[in-house]
Amino acid sequence: MANETEKSTREPSFYEAQTGWKSWAFTLDHKRLGIMYLLSTMIFFFVAGMSAILLRTELLTPQGDFLPWLNQGLASLFGNPITEEAAKAQSGTTFNKLFTVHGAVMVFLVIIPSVPGALGNFLLPLMLGAKDVAFPRLNLASYWIYTIGACFFLYTLFAGGLDTGWTFYTPYSTSTGTAVISATLGAFILGFSSILTGLNFMVTVHKMRAPGMTWYRMPLFVWAIYATAVIQVLATPVLAITLLLLIVERWLGIGIFDPAMGGDPVLFQHFFWFYSHPAVYIMILPGFGIESELIAVHSRKHIFGYKAIALSSVAIAMISFIVWGHHMFVSGQSELAGIVFSFLTFVVAVPTAIKVFSWVATLYKGSIEFNTPMLYGLMFLFTFTIGGLTGVFLGAMSLDVHLHDTYFVVAHFHYVMMGGTIIAFIGGIHHWWSKMTGRMYHEGSAKIGALLVFIGFNTTFFNQFVMGGQGMPRRYYTYVPQFQQQHLLSTIGAYILAVGLMWTAAYLLWSLRKANKKIQPDNPWGGMSLEWQTQSPPIEHNFHGTPRVDSDPYNFPQIDRTGEVDGSH
Amino acid sequence: MSTHDAKAMRPPGAIDPPMPLAHHFDTAGQQAGSAKFGMWVFLATEVLMFSGLFLAYFIVRMLYPEMVLSSHELLDKTMGGINTVVLLTSSYTMAMGVRAAQLGDKKGLVRNLVLTIAFACVFLVVKYFEYTGKFSHGIFPGKYFNYAEAGAYAMEHGGHVLQGKPHIFFGLYFVMTGLHGVHVVVGIGVLVWVLMRAKKGQFGPRYYAPVENVGLYWHIVDLVWIFLFPLLYLVR
Amino acid sequence: MSNADDKDDLIFLNGQALQPEDVHEVYEHVSPQILYVKILGALFVLTGLTYAVSYLNLGPASLPVAMLVALAKASLVATFFMHLKGDEKYHTFVFVSSLLFVGIFFTFTMFDLNSRDRLSQEQGTFFQRQNDPSAGMPDRQPGLSPFVEGTAPALTPWQVEAGATPGDAAPASTEAPAADAAAEGAKPAAAKPAAAKPGAAPKGPAKPAGH
Repeated sequence: MANETEKSTREPSFYEAQTGWKSWAFTLDHKRLGIMYLLSTMIFFFVAGMSAILLRTELLTPQGDFLPWLNQGLASLFGNPITEEAAKAQSGTTFNKLFTVHGAVMVFLVIIPSVPGALGNFLLPLMLGAKDVAFPRLNLASYWIYTIGACFFLYTLFAGGLDTGWTFYTPYSTSTGTAVISATLGAFILGFSSILTGLNFMVTVHKMRAPGMTWYRMPLFVWAIYATAVIQVLATPVLAITLLLLIVERWLGIGIFDPAMGGDPVLFQHFFWFYSHPAVYIMILPGFGIESELIAVHSRKHIFGYKAIALSSVAIAMISFIVWGHHMFVSGQSELAGIVFSFLTFVVAVPTAIKVFSWVATLYKGSIEFNTPMLYGLMFLFTFTIGGLTGVFLGAMSLDVHLHDTYFVVAHFHYVMMGGTIIAFIGGIHHWWSKMTGRMYHEGSAKIGALLVFIGFNTTFFNQFVMGGQGMPRRYYTYVPQFQQQHLLSTIGAYILAVGLMWTAAYLLWSLRKANKKIQPDNPWGGMSLEWQTQSPPIEHNFHGTPRVDSDPYNFPQIDRTGEVDGSH
Repeated sequence: MSTHDAKAMRPPGAIDPPMPLAHHFDTAGQQAGSAKFGMWVFLATEVLMFSGLFLAYFIVRMLYPEMVLSSHELLDKTMGGINTVVLLTSSYTMAMGVRAAQLGDKKGLVRNLVLTIAFACVFLVVKYFEYTGKFSHGIFPGKYFNYAEAGAYAMEHGGHVLQGKPHIFFGLYFVMTGLHGVHVVVGIGVLVWVLMRAKKGQFGPRYYAPVENVGLYWHIVDLVWIFLFPLLYLVR
Repeated sequence: MSNADDKDDLIFLNGQALQPEDVHEVYEHVSPQILYVKILGALFVLTGLTYAVSYLNLGPASLPVAMLVALAKASLVATFFMHLKGDEKYHTFVFVSSLLFVGIFFTFTMFDLNSRDRLSQEQGTFFQRQNDPSAGMPDRQPGLSPFVEGTAPALTPWQVEAGATPGDAAPASTEAPAADAAAEGAKPAAAKPAAAKPGAAPKGPAKPAGH
């Protein structure tokens, strides 16, 4: 595949092209915005992760004892001591607030923005051979809108928190005394950041591909981001209006969702899940895109079924809009509607399965390099498949009646969201680390980190499937003693996972230290897509001149028997 | 894609300023095409956002048909009708403005933009009178709805009894027209911005994308009203 | 809509190089003024039709007919004022797709609300969806306007329903209005117990479902 860079001398990277805080705060460079999104989402990942650790610590014992102790401690710290009984009485609400924070921050501030915002922003123009996204100022606005939404969430934390769960179900959310309005306003604003990012990416993919790059010559990551952008644009406005209606209902008492005022709570759920189900595909589709890149590049084999994977992304985007009722099987929704939604849920699993089979087929007879990105890629295959299959279990209405609101659901969505998106995201970070930073992490440490994450994750969540099947309900902070062993295992797993993630962050940040002066090659993995044909880190305008392409980016040159790569361009 | 005798339609003294090409675009067509496509995607999001409100309306209508019918009699059809005519005309002047920009007719563009803004302000003024009229009869959204006053008002005007839970209908009425009104205000803002640029002579046959895109936004505002008006005010 | 290759000065559209004669980078599709005037006229006529339809009392057909008229007006605005005609076909696709997804949202939701009782009716299960109409709404203060001090004795919505005038304090029991209220569609049952968790803060007295 032809490329157009002259790399005889190293030009200043985009980091060095401009300096000063204003050059970051008001940047129009998609790469800088990507780095900023990366930092912000990872900070919130830490915040939400810590609230999960607190949750899991409470769940070590069947009765509530950690949270009352914590509440008492914090109360006396702030000079407002409370009695033990008062602390015990509060701790149920505290637990509710913790899982709400964990859920809301993870969904709205971490998973939805992270892959499109961080990796998507950084890589999309590079992969397309463009100099920037279509609307760079809108991109900047997206980032700051994200930050403002995040501030609203932070304010909610300080205003006493929110205890409705991230799903804001009515009538509790219209009548509870906690800070619903600030949280929903925050989510409303974050929705706009998401919409504008999606809009930007859609137009970029349509209009700014390099000469010679037809739709079927784009990297699969771009297809995934494009499908994600379509969902973002179509679904998020409905979230906006749902949250607006919730705010107005709470503030003015309109009476559309609250039955005491004449409304229908299931209607809220329809409105909410019309966005939130496509939202979970916003979360996973970029992960699929990363996985395609990881698998293909690190097995140095042309991806199997390029068109199938590309078009299945679009198919998933489309079908995701007609299955939302599977979150509502036991809500009072009509059974007939439930049957329809159940059937359609089985349909949406098909394009996903096509992808999984294609990735496995790509690995077959590939020249697999077991480096960290590939390890994360393989991990994704394992954990995402478990998560996806258990989703099909939950899609069967008869099973869901028993499994709804149990730990089975919790395990399912953690397997797809964490075991899927986050694992793919971490893999992507490693894959593109040298492209983004010009440094390379220490491979040995990275492998240890991957092992810790894998062990921690599965220990935490695998037995939650069993627990859920045995009836342990979700969002409960006390439980019958028979579940204690399993909760203990889960919590230990959570601690291991936390250590693994912090270890990963540590060695990644360590690779950025000033003393690490080793100049990394521009293309350490021998990737064939356009981002690898330019400098690491890229120059401010991405490429010298406009690159032209004449094939898809998965035609890896043959490797001869001595293991040397045969003349990449 | 024909030029449709565009050059022949240009008025005397037409301007033709160049298009400022952004650094990340290669050609003028790429830039203009991207801007317009981006605006259409944004309009799709607006359609989806308002659709939630329309769905809520249809559901309320389905659940409480009598209530909706008796409540909507209290809405002022004349004011609604005036607003409809005003918005349609403003759509016309906006389209004429875009046409003027395409022909380099600076005076025509400025005139049409001013007219559009004027009509938009008329819309808001009529809305103001509508809302204050409602408030003076105790018709507030949701829990502030005054049954006694509103019931009395309903009896006086047309002699019907307010049935059911009219606070739901009026809640929706205020939210729908309110959100639409917010969009009108934002529209006035962007129209003023484009007007200021048009006065500086920045738009012509080679560069009129901002005018066109603001026009598209304005037409969507009009489109929403086209559906809002019969549903809220008129339908039996 | 297309981008350029520095090397050969070629223009590319959708990844293919364009021949110089095919390059229409920025087009001008300018319609004569009279067209816009005609469209405006048609819009006014249709607005009049909207009024006429509402006064004609078509019964259950009035909503679909009104929507069709509105659709006609919207089509005129979209096609001519928004220049969908003569523009890139993709813009029409984007716009129509958004309407398609609106349709999906509406259809499935209305289908659910309409078919709430179908299976249970077939099986002969009985759902109680309506409660005692004279039960109050604990959190609301009906009749209070934020702008007016000391309003007249307030009526609850059910008193209004029951035909009471502002003069009566006690709800009058009647036949037709109450029966109408009872017949008004399916009242939503209090669905999932929203806060039936031991951890949640205790709520007030149990709220009545529906009415």
